[in-house]
Amino acid sequence: MNYVLLAPEILLTVLALIVIFIGLLVSDRSKNMLGYISAAGLVASLVYVLGTKGEGSFFYNALVIDPLSQFFKLIFIVVSLLAVIASIKYFENNRNQDEYYALILLATVGMMVVASANDLVSLFVGFELASMSTYVLAGFEKKNPASLEAALKYFIIGSLSSALMLFGMSLVYGVTGSTNITAIIEFFKANPAVSGLDVIAMVFLVAGFGFKMALVPFHMWAPDTYEGSPSVVSALLAAGSKKMGFVAAFRVLVLALVALRADLWVTFGILAVITMTYGNIVAISQRSIKRMLAYSSIAQAGYIALAFVVTTQMSIAGGILLALGHALMKGGAFIAVAVVGYMVLSDNKNAKNIDDIENFAGLGKRAPITAFALFVFFLALAGIPPSAGFIGKFVLFYSITIEAVRQASTWFLIVVIIAILNSALSIYYYARVIRYMYVLPPAGEKIKEPAPYVIAIVLAVIGTIGIGLYPQPFIEMAMNAANVVLGV
Amino acid sequence: MAALISLMILISLIGAIITFLTRTREQARAVALLASGISFVISLILFLRFDSSIPTIQFAESYPWIVSLGISLKFGVDGIGMPLVLLSNIVIPLTVIFAWGETKQANQFYGLILLELVGVLGVFTSLDFFVFYIFWEIVLIPMYFLISIWGGPRKDYSAIKFFIYTHVASLVMLLAIFSLYFNAWQISGTPNFDMFYLLKNYSVIESSMLKDAIFLALLFGFLVKMPAVPFHTWLPDAHVEAPTAGSVILAALLLKMGGYGLFRVILPLLPFSGSPGELVIVMAIIGVVSILYGTFLALAQRDLKKMVAYSSISHMGYVTLGAAAIVPLSISGAMYQQFSHGLITCVLFMSCGVIQHSAGTRIIGDLGGIAKYMPKLTFLMLAGFLASLGLPGMSGFIAEFLVLVNSYFTLPNFVILALFGIVFTAGYHLWAMQRAVFGTYNEKLGHIHDGANYEMFSMAVIILFVIYFGLNPNPVLTMMTTNSEQLYTVLKGVVIP
Repeated sequence: MNYVLLAPEILLTVLALIVIFIGLLVSDRSKNMLGYISAAGLVASLVYVLGTKGEGSFFYNALVIDPLSQFFKLIFIVVSLLAVIASIKYFENNRNQDEYYALILLATVGMMVVASANDLVSLFVGFELASMSTYVLAGFEKKNPASLEAALKYFIIGSLSSALMLFGMSLVYGVTGSTNITAIIEFFKANPAVSGLDVIAMVFLVAGFGFKMALVPFHMWAPDTYEGSPSVVSALLAAGSKKMGFVAAFRVLVLALVALRADLWVTFGILAVITMTYGNIVAISQRSIKRMLAYSSIAQAGYIALAFVVTTQMSIAGGILLALGHALMKGGAFIAVAVVGYMVLSDNKNAKNIDDIENFAGLGKRAPITAFALFVFFLALAGIPPSAGFIGKFVLFYSITIEAVRQASTWFLIVVIIAILNSALSIYYYARVIRYMYVLPPAGEKIKEPAPYVIAIVLAVIGTIGIGLYPQPFIEMAMNAANVVLGV
Repeated sequence: MAALISLMILISLIGAIITFLTRTREQARAVALLASGISFVISLILFLRFDSSIPTIQFAESYPWIVSLGISLKFGVDGIGMPLVLLSNIVIPLTVIFAWGETKQANQFYGLILLELVGVLGVFTSLDFFVFYIFWEIVLIPMYFLISIWGGPRKDYSAIKFFIYTHVASLVMLLAIFSLYFNAWQISGTPNFDMFYLLKNYSVIESSMLKDAIFLALLFGFLVKMPAVPFHTWLPDAHVEAPTAGSVILAALLLKMGGYGLFRVILPLLPFSGSPGELVIVMAIIGVVSILYGTFLALAQRDLKKMVAYSSISHMGYVTLGAAAIVPLSISGAMYQQFSHGLITCVLFMSCGVIQHSAGTRIIGDLGGIAKYMPKLTFLMLAGFLASLGLPGMSGFIAEFLVLVNSYFTLPNFVILALFGIVFTAGYHLWAMQRAVFGTYNEKLGHIHDGANYEMFSMAVIILFVIYFGLNPNPVLTMMTTNSEQLYTVLKGVVIP
C-alpha cells in the first residue's frame, strides 16, 4: 500500500487540527492569517491530486484511488479553495475564524472520502463528516435568523436523508452479506434475480443520494439553506457538497443497477426531467438572487442526473464534466453575490434582503469585475459556448441523442428535447439579472472590490472559460472516470 | 500569406477587446473603425486573390483543438462564403461611421459592434461544425445587449424574445448536428466534426425518417434565423426596438447566416433526404408565403421601421424560393439576393434612424414633406427604396430577376404567385415615400434638420456599392455561379413533383 496517494486527505486533516491549535494560541486579530494557511494547504493538496498518477486501494479495499475519485477530489478541492479565498474577506476579523476554517477543511476531507469510498461504511462516514461540518458552517452567522433557519432545516433534512441512506445500506448488507462495493457488485452479478428486497434497498439509496443531490422531490431544503447561509458557505454547499451525492450515485447505483439488470432509467428520466423543469420554472419568479441560484442549481442537478438515464461512457463523462463546470460557475456566482452583499452593507449597515435583484442594478458600473464575472457565469450556466457549462451540456445531450438514434427511442429524444427547452428557458432569468447589471442605472457609487473576492472570482472565470476553450484534457479525465463507473 | 482568415477574425476580436477598454468615445470609435477597416482590407485582399473559376475551399486553415472529439479550428471560404465575408466587412465599418455620434456607453457600443463582426465572420468561414455552432451562438450575445441597452421603449421584451427564440432554433439545429456527427463516427470509428465530412456521410443513414428529421431540424434552425414565415415573429419586435446600428447589423448580416446555412448545409443534403421532392415543395411554399405575407404586412405598417423589417422578410423569401428551385442560376440568384439585400437594407434602416433622430417619430402618418428640410437624406433614401423595390441598374434587380426567371423552369406556379408580390412591393415602397417624405410639410414637426455628414457618407457609400454591383455583378456573381453549378451536379437528380 502506497499511503502517499492518500497524502491530500492526510494533509488537510492535519492542517485542520493545526488551524484549531493555532486559533487557541493567537490573538483574535491575527486569526486572519488562518485563511491564508488553509488556502495554501488546499493549493498543496490540489497540486498533489493533479500531480499524482497511479491507482490503489487501502484499508481492506474501503478506500480506492482511481480516475473517478481523483476527478471529484479535484472538484471538491477547487470549490473549497474558492470558498476559503473569498472567506478571507467575508469572515475578516471574525473571532471564530479558526473553527470556520477547520470546519471547511474537515468538510473537504469528508467529501474526498466519499469520492474515494469503496465500502458502504466509509461512504457513510465520509458523508457524515462532510454533513456535520457543513451543518455548522450553514449556521455560522449566529446573529442572523435566516442563517440559523438554514442550518436547522439543513440539519433535520440531512439527518433524515442519512437515515434513509443508512437503512438502504443495511438492506444491501442483509441481501449481499458484505458492505464492500466491489463484493456487492460481484454478488449482484452472480445473483441477478431480483428478489424485491434489493429493489427496495436501491429505492432507499436513490432517496438518500437524491436528498444530497437535491433532486426534486428531495430538494425542499436546498433553496432555504442556500439563501440563508453565508454566501461563501452557499458556494461550498451548492458547488461542492452537492456533488457528493453524484459521486456516490455514480459509484454505487450505476454499477449495481447494471449488475441487477434493473431498468431504472424511466425513474431517473422522470426525476431528471421534473427536476430541471421545476428548478428552471421556479427560478424565474425569484427576486432573491441566492434563491434563484439555488433553484438554478436544482435545475443543473437535473441535467447532471441525465447521465443516469442512458449510462453510457459518454453520458457519464458528460455528467462528470457538467459537475465540474457547475462547481466553478455556481461557486463563482455565489461568491460574486457575496461581493454584492459587501457592497450593499458598505452603503447601509442595516440593509435587509441584501441579495435582492434591485441591488444588482448598475452593477456593471459599480463593481465591473464582479458584474463581468457574473455575466460569464450566467451565460455558462445557460450553456452558451465557449464555456465549461457548454462543454458539459454538449457531451451530455449528445450522448442521449446518440442513444436515441441507436435504439430508435422516441423517449430519449423527448427527454433531450425537454432538456434543450429547459436550457433555453433558463436564459430568461439569467438574462434578467444581466439586464439589471448592465442596463439599469446604478444605485450608488463605484466601490473598490476587495482583493480576496476578486481573486476567487477571477480564478472561477478562468476555469469556466478555460475549460470551454481547451476541454481536451478534462474530457479525457472524465472519460477515464466514466470507465471506472462502468467497471470497464 | 497563409492564415489570412484567422488573422481577420483575430484582429476584429482584439479590436473589440481594446474598444471595451478605451475610456473616451473618441478613442472607442477610432479603435473600432481602425480594427474593422483592417479587417475590410484583409477581406478585400482575400476577395481579389480569390479564384472564381474553382468551386473548392480556398485560403484553408486548420489547427487541432479538441482532439478526442475530433474538433479542429478549420477556416476557409468558397464562392458561398466569400461574398458574405466581404459584405460583413463592408457593413461593419460603415455602421461604425454611421453611429459616429453615439454618446451612451460608447466603448461598449462599438465593442459590441466589433464582436458581431467576429461572430458573423466566424460563421461564414468555419468549416468545422462545432466551431460553426459556437460562432452561431456568439452572435446572439452582443445583439442582445445592443437591443437591451440602446433600444427603444419595449427593449426588454424584444431583446429576450430575440435571444430565446433564436437560441431554441440553434439548439434544435445542434441536435441535428449531433446526429450527423454520431452517424459519421459510427461509420468510420473516429470522431470528426469536419463539416463536409459530416454532410457527406448523411447519405449513408439508413432510416429515411431519421434523415428527414435531421434535415427538418437543420432547416428549422436556418429558417428561424432568416427569418421565414411562420418563424418570423421575433424579427419585427427586435428591429423596432433595436438602435439603428443594431437593426442594420441584424438585417444585413445576421439574417444572412440563415441563408448561408441553406446553401452550405441544406442543399447538399437535399438529394439524400428521405423525400427530397416534398421537401423542395415545403421550402418553396415557405419562400413564396414569406414573399407575399411579408409584402402585405409591410403594406399595412404605420411605423416606417416596422415596414422595412417586414420588407426584409419578404426579400429573404426570394432566397428560400431561389434555393428551392434548384436551377443553377436560381441558386446563384438567391445567393446574390443575400449579398444585395445586405447592402440595400442598410440604407433603409439608416434612413429610418436619421428620420427618427431628426423628426422624433417614425410613424408614417405623422411625417410628411420632410424632403423640404432633408434634401440629402431624401436623395439617398429614394435611391435605397428604389433599389429595394427592384429598379434595374441596382443590385436588387439582378438578384430578383435571376431568381424569378430561373425558378420558373421548375416551380412555375410558385413564381406566378410571387410575381404578385412584386407589384405590392413597389406599392408599399412608393406609397411610404409619398406619404412620409414628399407632399406638403407637416408643420407639427417643427424645425427639422438634415442628417449628419457621417451618416450621409456611409449611406452614400453603400448606394455606390449597390449601383456598382447592379451594373457589374460579375465579380461576385461569377464565384457564386461556380459554386451553384457545383451544387447542381449533386442536386440534379431531385425530381420536383
